[in-house]
Amino acid sequence: MDLNYKQFFEVMPAYLTILDPDLRIIAANQRFRKDFGEFEGRYCYQINRHRSERCERCPAERSFRDGLRHGLEEQFRNLSGQEVSLLVYTTPIRNEAGEIAAVMKMATDITEIKLLQNQLRQSQERYRQLFEEVPCYMTIQNRDLQIIEANRGFREDFGNVLGSKCYEVYMHRSAECVPCTVKQTFQDGQVHQSEEVVTSRDGQQVNVLVHTAPIRDSEGQIKSVIEMSTNITQIRQLQSQLTSLGLVISSLSHGIKGLLTSLDGGIYLVNSGLGKNNQERVKQGWQMVERNVARIKTMVLDLLYYAKDRDPDLEWIPTLMVAEEVCELMQGKAKEYGIDFQCAFDPGAGHFAVDAKAIRSLLVNLIENALDACRVDKKKNKHQIKIRLQGYPEFVEFEVYDNGIGMDQETRERAFSLFFSSKAGDGTGLGLFISNKIAQAHGGEIKLESELNKGTRVTIQLPRKGPGSKPASPKPL
Amino acid sequence: MASKKKILIVDDEQDILTYLSTLLEDNGYNTVLAKNGEEALKQMEAALPDLITLDISMPGKSGVKFYRDMKAEDRWKHIPIIIITGVSEDFKKFISSRQQVPPPEGYLSKPIEKEEILALVKKFTA
Repeated sequence: MDLNYKQFFEVMPAYLTILDPDLRIIAANQRFRKDFGEFEGRYCYQINRHRSERCERCPAERSFRDGLRHGLEEQFRNLSGQEVSLLVYTTPIRNEAGEIAAVMKMATDITEIKLLQNQLRQSQERYRQLFEEVPCYMTIQNRDLQIIEANRGFREDFGNVLGSKCYEVYMHRSAECVPCTVKQTFQDGQVHQSEEVVTSRDGQQVNVLVHTAPIRDSEGQIKSVIEMSTNITQIRQLQSQLTSLGLVISSLSHGIKGLLTSLDGGIYLVNSGLGKNNQERVKQGWQMVERNVARIKTMVLDLLYYAKDRDPDLEWIPTLMVAEEVCELMQGKAKEYGIDFQCAFDPGAGHFAVDAKAIRSLLVNLIENALDACRVDKKKNKHQIKIRLQGYPEFVEFEVYDNGIGMDQETRERAFSLFFSSKAGDGTGLGLFISNKIAQAHGGEIKLESELNKGTRVTIQLPRKGPGSKPASPKPL
Repeated sequence: MASKKKILIVDDEQDILTYLSTLLEDNGYNTVLAKNGEEALKQMEAALPDLITLDISMPGKSGVKFYRDMKAEDRWKHIPIIIITGVSEDFKKFISSRQQVPPPEGYLSKPIEKEEILALVKKFTA
């Protein structure tokens, strides 16, 4: 070897060795000698791998065989026993006759690169895992609002919809949302926030708090936007329950103050009537007391229903029995007000599984509403209430019709809301709300048709076999 | 003998109307009754009262609206009004609306003490 080449050979920042056809090391540069020690008479696999036989995949052997250069990534163990990652290249050295006399093996230490690669891979895996497992819906979207990545939570609830537009998947609509936080982030590079109600693939409505943030490339350009949507449905439900509770307390407080004033009034009339020996006033005062005690009772019973989401105590009972009991009870009241009260019951309506007490309370509530609607209607001379019961194979239908004052659109829409009353001081605003809750607890539903000054028809459908047995199409028995 | 003072009682609860009218009539006043703001305005057009007791929460025209109309009308704004309400929240709203209208002459929270209402009525009709 010429002196120059010898110098280059010695100072190369890599491990250089020359192997003979038996893979014995016949020359090694300075760096090799320093890290792997003396090589005289020893084989490369002994020094590099600390093994007694040739390696299965040996690039030097291949170079001897085919005269070509070969490369391979290998792990060597140096003098101090440390594993070193090396990128190994072998190239044949030919003699003057063109025969392969030796192979030069150059091994570059890539331990640090490998270490960095491993760290990068682990870091990527960690971020991927974080992206996948974070307990919210995460998507990455491009400028066309197409979802280009989505995490597990998102895929589970909204499906594997890569390539679809965000608003198609979340909102089931064909137009962009206005405003769109993803677009805003693309425009100004800022984090944006909004609250939305989205619909999952199984039709569930989910309240989400949405945050969007830009993802930039190495030149700082926004190439995509990450959208993180946290499910806050439970928080919103809790908030709604707390609001209801607040309303209960406020309404109770208002109602009780009114009732106490009326009770005071009744007591005043009774006492002053007794003092003046005015029997008519005593009677009027006593009626006030009775009426307001009854209102307190109704309010408390209604509140008990509201306060406790109890499961109905189901019994298999004849539908006719419930209908007849309720009508018998309410007929007297209707007569008192001069209202025509008619009952039409299907004799074959059969049995149903209901909480008899709750259903009676539901029907009484609806008939009381009908009586009130007739009582306050001054525009008609004759008033009528019709109660109908019809049995179907899967469910039972009650109908309460009255030709009373009826409801305008606003009253109809708010009729089932908590504490909505169209009856001024006579209503607690709980009746229809509770009735609706009772029907729902039985797996049934209440439908309301009403027109102002014409009348109201309330239809209650209850599954014959209780909650969970959804009624099929109506077919009379 | 001086003529009896006339009190307009506005409340949506019949029992409270009965109570207040009986109490005030027993104490030497004449009363007229209204169940909401519209009825109260009709009573005002028919004959002016010397004082009004007014509930706040009522269906139809509420007490607040009626009060604003009263105080905006030159013919009526001198008539003293005693607010009688059970809803403190409504009263707060009512008070906050005072920027446009003067405050009420009196305020009583339900349940009311009969001595209190009689004292206020006497004071403002004297």
